[in-house]
Amino acid sequence: MNNFAHIKPIAQYKKVCYYSVCINEEELSLFEDFIKQHTATNEKKLDHILNWLKVIGNKYGAQTHHFRPEGETADTSALPPKGVDRKPQYTEYGKKKANNLRLYCLRANKHIVFLFSGDIKTSQTAQNCPNVKKHFKLANLITKAIDNAFINKDIVWNDDCTQIECNEDFKIYF
Amino acid sequence: MKFPQNNIIDNWLSENGNPEIARLVEKNLALTEKINSILKERGIKKGEFAEMLGKNPSEVSKWLSGAHNLTMKSINKMEFVLGIDLINIEPITEVKYVYLGLIQGGELENAMNDYEDSNYNIAM
Repeated sequence: MNNFAHIKPIAQYKKVCYYSVCINEEELSLFEDFIKQHTATNEKKLDHILNWLKVIGNKYGAQTHHFRPEGETADTSALPPKGVDRKPQYTEYGKKKANNLRLYCLRANKHIVFLFSGDIKTSQTAQNCPNVKKHFKLANLITKAIDNAFINKDIVWNDDCTQIECNEDFKIYF
Repeated sequence: MKFPQNNIIDNWLSENGNPEIARLVEKNLALTEKINSILKERGIKKGEFAEMLGKNPSEVSKWLSGAHNLTMKSINKMEFVLGIDLINIEPITEVKYVYLGLIQGGELENAMNDYEDSNYNIAM
């Protein structure tokens, strides 16, 4: 059976519009579910990622160096960016610790980012991590489907490429 | 496509967010964005900047991601090679005492009209 998704606008800031997708008939988008899942268990790590989204949304725009490349079959990215692996700024109980919570996303341009889902990464590679593997694979599949929708003009940019438009009942099959 | 009135990111941060984390993200990004804009303005490529710093390009990329916990030593090194100040520390302000005296007089209006230097000397 083919899966499908529809696009859900999430939040609009001065410089970035964030969107997510709802899978099949789900009401909650992947990103909303990600927040719900990690609020209880990984609050500080989630706090770090959400602050990141807010600051780049309001001040800097979504630039490539703000994301880490996580493409396998498509141009998927993730947050937080790579700097956290070496000497992370994220601290826990006063000790420096990597923010290993990953939020997979698609940075469509400087103004538009699709936020998917993620989890705590426990292995060197996403493919080998029992937690993030499914989110990583799903993000790559949806990224590819969204890229194709742009190519086929099912999703179009507005005049200054700061927002996207598509039919309300448009479904992305993946 | 219409965005919801409720911004779930802002809502979450106002309900659960830690202001210390917010400040850290904001400052880290401000610092690295400033360096990135100076490099762009001066036409210095990241590889050249790494060479100027005597560092590996991948390490410098991480420094400039905005999520790296920069040490004072690395900030100082970047300031030195670029000839700029990234952090401006406010000088400690000296305490200044202001001596207040009392000028005797009746009503405020009268006191203002009758004011003479001699009264001021009395107050001192």
